[in-house]
Amino acid sequence: MVGHHRTTEGTSLRNAVSHRTLKKTAHRNTPVQTFLWGSSSSSGTEYIVRVPKTPLKSTILCINSGDKVACSTWTQARMERDMSARRIYGEEETTEGAAGSEFGKKQREEARRKKFGIVTKEFKVEDQPWILKVNGKAGKRFKGIKKGGVTENASYYIFTQCPDGAFEAFPVHGWYNFMPVAKHRTLTAEEAEEEWGRRNKVVNHFSIMLQRRLREQERGEDDDDEGEKAGKKKKKGGGGRGGDLRIHDLEDDLEMSSDDSHSSGEDGESKSKAKKEVGKGKGKKKKKKGSEHEALEDSDDGDYEGLEVDYMSDESSSEEEMEKGKPVKAEEHPKGIDEMSESEEESEEEKQNEEETKEEDEEDDGKKTPVQSEKKKKKADSSGESESSDDSDIEGETASALFMKKRTPPKRGGRGSAGSSRTGSRPGTPSIDSGSTSSTLRAAASKLEQGKRQTGSATDTPAAKRLKMEPNSQSPAPSGKSTPQPASGKSTPSSSDVQLTEEAVRRYLIRKPMTTKDLLKKFQTKRTGLSNEQTVNVLAQISRGSTQSVKMSTTRCIFTSQSNWTEGVVTRITVNMSLCQT
Amino acid sequence: MSEKGEVNLSGVKQSNGVWLVKVPKYLSQQWEKATEKGDVGKITIKKKQGKSEVSFKLNADLTGLDALGEKDASLHVPRDHPFTMHNVGGQTLAVFSQSDKDEISLEGMVVHRAECRPVVNDNYMKLKKLQIKESTKPQRLSQQLERAVTTVFKPVANHNFNVEYEKKKKSEGKMVRAERQVVLDMLFSAFEKHQYYNIKDLVEITKQPVTYLKEIMREIGTYNSKGAHKSTWELKSEYRHYQSADEDETHTS
Repeated sequence: MVGHHRTTEGTSLRNAVSHRTLKKTAHRNTPVQTFLWGSSSSSGTEYIVRVPKTPLKSTILCINSGDKVACSTWTQARMERDMSARRIYGEEETTEGAAGSEFGKKQREEARRKKFGIVTKEFKVEDQPWILKVNGKAGKRFKGIKKGGVTENASYYIFTQCPDGAFEAFPVHGWYNFMPVAKHRTLTAEEAEEEWGRRNKVVNHFSIMLQRRLREQERGEDDDDEGEKAGKKKKKGGGGRGGDLRIHDLEDDLEMSSDDSHSSGEDGESKSKAKKEVGKGKGKKKKKKGSEHEALEDSDDGDYEGLEVDYMSDESSSEEEMEKGKPVKAEEHPKGIDEMSESEEESEEEKQNEEETKEEDEEDDGKKTPVQSEKKKKKADSSGESESSDDSDIEGETASALFMKKRTPPKRGGRGSAGSSRTGSRPGTPSIDSGSTSSTLRAAASKLEQGKRQTGSATDTPAAKRLKMEPNSQSPAPSGKSTPQPASGKSTPSSSDVQLTEEAVRRYLIRKPMTTKDLLKKFQTKRTGLSNEQTVNVLAQISRGSTQSVKMSTTRCIFTSQSNWTEGVVTRITVNMSLCQT
Repeated sequence: MSEKGEVNLSGVKQSNGVWLVKVPKYLSQQWEKATEKGDVGKITIKKKQGKSEVSFKLNADLTGLDALGEKDASLHVPRDHPFTMHNVGGQTLAVFSQSDKDEISLEGMVVHRAECRPVVNDNYMKLKKLQIKESTKPQRLSQQLERAVTTVFKPVANHNFNVEYEKKKKSEGKMVRAERQVVLDMLFSAFEKHQYYNIKDLVEITKQPVTYLKEIMREIGTYNSKGAHKSTWELKSEYRHYQSADEDETHTS
């Protein structure tokens, strides 16, 4: 037995000195000092250990040092159990009333659970986490989660020294690890996963929470007061962006507002647009999307495959820019028309008509309008260049099937060259580049519309007719009508009178199949002396009558004078026909 | 048990330093046998070459181990236990206590952690051996029987359970049809409690023959063959008047 039995039980008497000594040493990282008692010169002192039977239950509260918590600084603290798990466990308590309840349902459920061996954990209050609030409302909050397995293999005791010097040992019944609870808003698990996926792309991390806040505001916009919103904004002010400037592409919207499962890219865009308006109204919202700071992925090549591009314009074909492009294009075309049209009077006299019809056009889709304006422009061409078909062909669904053509640069070149060949006074550049007045555009648009409509009505009864222009067309036959153009179909000659006869039609069709519209172009009102409607009617008759020479493919709606011809049929015919039919 | 307690921070204020000591199970078991006064032993604190040594000595009267009915003489719990002291480094440990009335008070901060180790000697080894033997015993044991059990599953003319059942049936007799109005009253009061009933349950409640009961139910109720409450009877809409889940009333036509 090692030990110096110096002191006896009487050592329970302790003077204040040693007690104070103990207090002094009650700091961390200080070694236990020797407790000298009285005049003992030996190096050891003895204390009695007592294990009192106390009704108090002791628990350990453990906080990580990294959180830098100084318990001594706490002025006040409240601790309560976190009962949020109760509703998960106590979910069985449904409506107690009679409505909707079955007799003996509980027993049946219990029997069923037993049969399947489903064991539901009970909700034990003692095992629930603690919520510790320090220093009132503005202070810190901690959540303490019970640590399991503490009392299984070894017991913990708390040794305190009593004033009389003896130690008292209290058993520890539980151990809770306390962690500070974040007061700032955090992302949910799903949101965090999403952002994780975009971590390489997103440079501006402020916008992540900003977006979330905005989204929440959207949802609770009806309920929220303005003051709340203002408060939120202020909170965000530190990390927000100044100004109301919003630069965003469609891609940005698609990426950034991809949060909710319900919101599609467009929704997000619309939401953000709504927000933008709200923000501007309040004048305080700092929601710059910061798209310029975001490194976004490049769009894949296949993104724009399906889109029909108006090749007349220099701009690229994004959906947004279609709208932007439309007015631009609109401006450009009339100018081109002006230049291209031979007679000024023609455009003028038709202006009025066109203006009327232009309004109707503008009701159509944004996409259609450029298409139509394109077509109209071409229509307005007195030369009736077939190249115009090339251009209008660009716009996909809305494109008139009549203008089916390969999208090749030759169109432009052809156009330019056609122009040059025709008038010679035309500028080398395609007409697109030049701006134009809107009136002329309208005129052109309406004219095209007119012609389209008439064509449509003509082709109403017969199946929709569609003419395809082959890229390399042979020069027209001795109609003397059209001069060969490199990459376009026939181009009508400048000023030869043409009789709208079956032979003429056949001649055209010999070269290649043509749509009614093209035919119509050939037989322009001026030349044949017939009005548009009459022309159409005559054409219709011819097509119907001359079955031998003119065959109509009902399925594909193609006029061809030869039975065999290769097609690159576009199914958009039907769509367009419906458009034509007013 | 909602503990919304204000935490009594007096312990922390006074900077009461405490020790957290890990004590082996057998020792804590012995301590539980202590008398009311609670004396279990002594702690000796020495200083040797700058380091402190703490040792605990168990009282002699508590060394008897009475587990498994072993005699006290053969096995003793070791008496000397030196403490291993640690500093509380990476954690802030505090102690709070909870009274029966859910009053929480923070007792103090832990300044040292200690582990109570026994002195390893033969005695201790024997003790450990015993413990291991105990713990390795399986909870369930397979036992081989020499003879087959013949006391159960004898062929019986009629099982006990069945016999009782038949007796009960005979005593009760067939269910008698009561007055229609009486039955209706019973049904309505039953449907006041629950909305959906199985026909079997209704039979049990009303003690009426099934056919008669079904006839009455067809008059006042409908049968759910599909849906959430499958194969249950409920009152017709004109007869029922359930309000919210809490209160409901039914009324006869």
